[in-house]
Amino acid sequence: MAQAKFLKEADLAAWLGELAKGRKVLVPQKDGDAVVFKPWHEGVKPVLDRQATESPKKAVFPASEKLFRFSYIKDPENPGKVRVELEEPEKPEPALVFGGRPCDARGFLIFDRVYDSPKTRDSYYVARREATAFVTLACPEASNTCFCHAVGSGPADTAGSDALMTPVEGGYVLEAISPKGEELLKSPLLSDAGDKLAQAERVKAQAVESLPPAPDFAGSPEALMARFDDMGFWENASAKCISCGACTYLCPTCYCFSITDEESGMKGVRMRSWDNCMSYQFTLEASGHNPRPTKAHRLKNRVGHKFSYYPLIHKGAIACCGCGRCIKSCPVSVDIREIVTMAIEAAPTAEESAQPQGAKQ
Amino acid sequence: MSVIDELKSAIKAKLSELDLVIGWGPGFDPLHATPLFMRCEKDVDKLLWGPLNVHNPATYLPGLKGKKVGVVVKGCDSRSVIELLQEKLVKREELVIFGAPCAGVIDMGKVRRALGDLDKVNAVSIEGDNVVVTAGGKQHTLPLAEVAADKCGRCRYHNALISDVFVGEHLPPSVEQDDYADVEAFESQSLEERNAYWKREMQRCIRCYACRNACPLCVCRDHCIAQSRDPHWIGQGDNVGDKWMFQMIHAQHLAGRCTECGECQRACPVGIPLLALKRKLNKEIKELFDYEAGVDPNACPPLQSFKVEEEHINERGW
Amino acid sequence: MTEMPNLYLPEMATIIETVQETPTIKTFRLVLNNEQRMKDFHFEPGQVGQLSVFGTGEATFVINSPPTRKEYLQFSVMRAGEVTARLHSLNSGDQVGVRAPLGNWFPYEDMKGKDIVFIGGGIGMAPLRTLMLFMLDNRADYGNITLLYGARSPVDMAFQYELPEWLGREDLKTTLTIDNPAQGWEHRVGLIPNVLLEMEPSAKNSVAITCGPPIMIKFTLQALKKLGYKDEQIITTLEKRMKCGVGICGRCNIGTKYVCVDGPVFSYAQLKELPNEL
Repeated sequence: MAQAKFLKEADLAAWLGELAKGRKVLVPQKDGDAVVFKPWHEGVKPVLDRQATESPKKAVFPASEKLFRFSYIKDPENPGKVRVELEEPEKPEPALVFGGRPCDARGFLIFDRVYDSPKTRDSYYVARREATAFVTLACPEASNTCFCHAVGSGPADTAGSDALMTPVEGGYVLEAISPKGEELLKSPLLSDAGDKLAQAERVKAQAVESLPPAPDFAGSPEALMARFDDMGFWENASAKCISCGACTYLCPTCYCFSITDEESGMKGVRMRSWDNCMSYQFTLEASGHNPRPTKAHRLKNRVGHKFSYYPLIHKGAIACCGCGRCIKSCPVSVDIREIVTMAIEAAPTAEESAQPQGAKQ
Repeated sequence: MSVIDELKSAIKAKLSELDLVIGWGPGFDPLHATPLFMRCEKDVDKLLWGPLNVHNPATYLPGLKGKKVGVVVKGCDSRSVIELLQEKLVKREELVIFGAPCAGVIDMGKVRRALGDLDKVNAVSIEGDNVVVTAGGKQHTLPLAEVAADKCGRCRYHNALISDVFVGEHLPPSVEQDDYADVEAFESQSLEERNAYWKREMQRCIRCYACRNACPLCVCRDHCIAQSRDPHWIGQGDNVGDKWMFQMIHAQHLAGRCTECGECQRACPVGIPLLALKRKLNKEIKELFDYEAGVDPNACPPLQSFKVEEEHINERGW
Repeated sequence: MTEMPNLYLPEMATIIETVQETPTIKTFRLVLNNEQRMKDFHFEPGQVGQLSVFGTGEATFVINSPPTRKEYLQFSVMRAGEVTARLHSLNSGDQVGVRAPLGNWFPYEDMKGKDIVFIGGGIGMAPLRTLMLFMLDNRADYGNITLLYGARSPVDMAFQYELPEWLGREDLKTTLTIDNPAQGWEHRVGLIPNVLLEMEPSAKNSVAITCGPPIMIKFTLQALKKLGYKDEQIITTLEKRMKCGVGICGRCNIGTKYVCVDGPVFSYAQLKELPNEL
């Protein structure tokens, strides 16, 4: 691996300025009471001391994107004859996600298996993925809702990142993870990390120690399948869920989308936008039939997708990065850790009275 | 006996007649309570009562029609129940309402501003007029009056307005009248300023519709115009125009119905101050119809009734 | 965009002919505007396509013309939602978008040498049509071919212009039925499962392919079981709300299976393995 570098806190803005030349740099910044990823510009101070409210998902998977434009064009000779022209969007501009957490970068690995597989390559996704680099901040300390270590990750996980930043006294230690990352670290503002690297390692070790005990998700794919028809279980698990989409939209790994046309006169766009499996309309068929008619069915699919169906398809990989946003930003504190653990622990025929309670800390 | 103990025994006494009772229990950390669905005595033992009970359990009632449901309410929650009864969205005979005096609930946003973030809370205790939060090893003593939700500071209904069982001592109103000073202050800005404010706030909306789904009176939920294609009033794009359009429809739909429980704002994961929109409309409703939602089970919301001549609307005078 | 194919970009096609099959079903015959692409277009019987009406959206339909007849691609559309309503307003000369072929297909190789029983109800005849015509065009590969096609009433019966030919063929045994007696109706009267039981097709060395409304499928499966058909001998197709059609967008899954890529064709044995979420 390339040499580790050191960035002085005082040089952070200057380095961001360098990085922002020729690319869009998304950094976590304060917006009202929330911390969201927005393009950096001179004067913006990134919020690096806490996990952002939203994940940087939109950097690679925008909340809405044009798949193409369409226009109906009348033949001037014969106005009854109308042809349709389709126009694909421009290539995405280069981008950098700066100051996301390891769970944020790791989220895209879960996308990759679906959007960029030997069978199916989603050109919009792949183009943005290739155009986007990740300079990720190692977490110095865990939150109550963190469980990255239960899904095969950790506070200094480098998977999915191009460079890892670790906060140390007076600045950050930077380690390149990928060739893209090595390029990014070539700035003259960065010096040799020297003994700061050892300090960074200590920060990482402390972070691991700060994590609450990991919930045990072993066997979740089979356990959730075994519970599929136990609607009593799912009605209990979803009782307090209000069936909104906060969990899915804040989630770094939720990748479902809708496609809709927005038309204005003779032209319009076909758009892909984030969709939400907790919504009744998500699976509503034109006939009026809905295979997932209640929130119990829908929560079952959400939990099942992440901890059962996806791992069964993708060699055991859980479709969750453990960032905990679905728990901490849920208006009613639905706790996915608890639901999965309950499904694993309870025998398939267990009595119905188990009410979701605080997660095991 | 303390309020919580009285509540627990009152619920236990009724439990056998009910399918379930909705209240609050401990959540994933000491700061977060979570709605609790009680079906057995063991569940009732988990019940919490106090300033962490931020959620409005009335939100669940329309979805539980046909079941015999007990619901524990704060004063503001009871107004939602009344409004649901007024609109015949729930049946009185299917409800058993447990009330207790509420001195106010905390606003997580205010605690967040005091702490920086809410990620590392280890302990929370209520000590006199303060809430003491230990987070990341540091203790923060926050006066309840300062971190209480704004709605609590102007609350005139600390005690459930409707209940089958009420435990504890009634609390006096915090103020005599809601003067809508916050709305007036906002109205004093220019149209451009107000427009810019909302554009800025709506930008970060993620269109999750937690505001809608947390609202006890947004009962269309599964058939909302937000995602409907017919009518196709709102596009699916990530733009302020469509997001704002939804909030406008949402607020208009609640005019004269909204009891200002604030769930829309509390539920918003990105902290958009949505209650202000509803308060603006309620202020108009108050002026035009001298009406306040959710205080009288026998009243009819003004926009659901028709009068040939309205007292405060001069229809023919222009 | 990049060099890789754009999965979401439809090919433009022109409607060359439409047929109002029933009050609610309209058939569209279309050709891709790119002549070479039309010539090279390859699909298997049972595969589906997404038809686009720009401004309204896309919906999934089976290509119900057989791969052996390539002068046009045929889709029959039952009016149910927004896209189908706008499709119904289109006529020959109009432009639509096509993303096809998508999904899996009928395992016709495995059916070679076997007797085939098609049981279609209403619009469910569309997916059967493609395979049946394909088999008739490769007649020597298959044993006896039987068709039982039912609809609520005579006006609800699609493909009427073909029925005389199907009834007249010696290498196809066709039975038509409607739910209730109607004036001038010369064929069977009775619900499909009941007529099927009366017909008593032998399960021996046979495959039954059935498609139709859920309630019909439910009772047809019971009838087939009574007749001795094993789960592996029964094949059907599933429908789900779809958007991407390529296994990404996440709404048509039943557990681990995505109807858009793992389906729409499933054997009853496969269906039984799926979680209960139809």
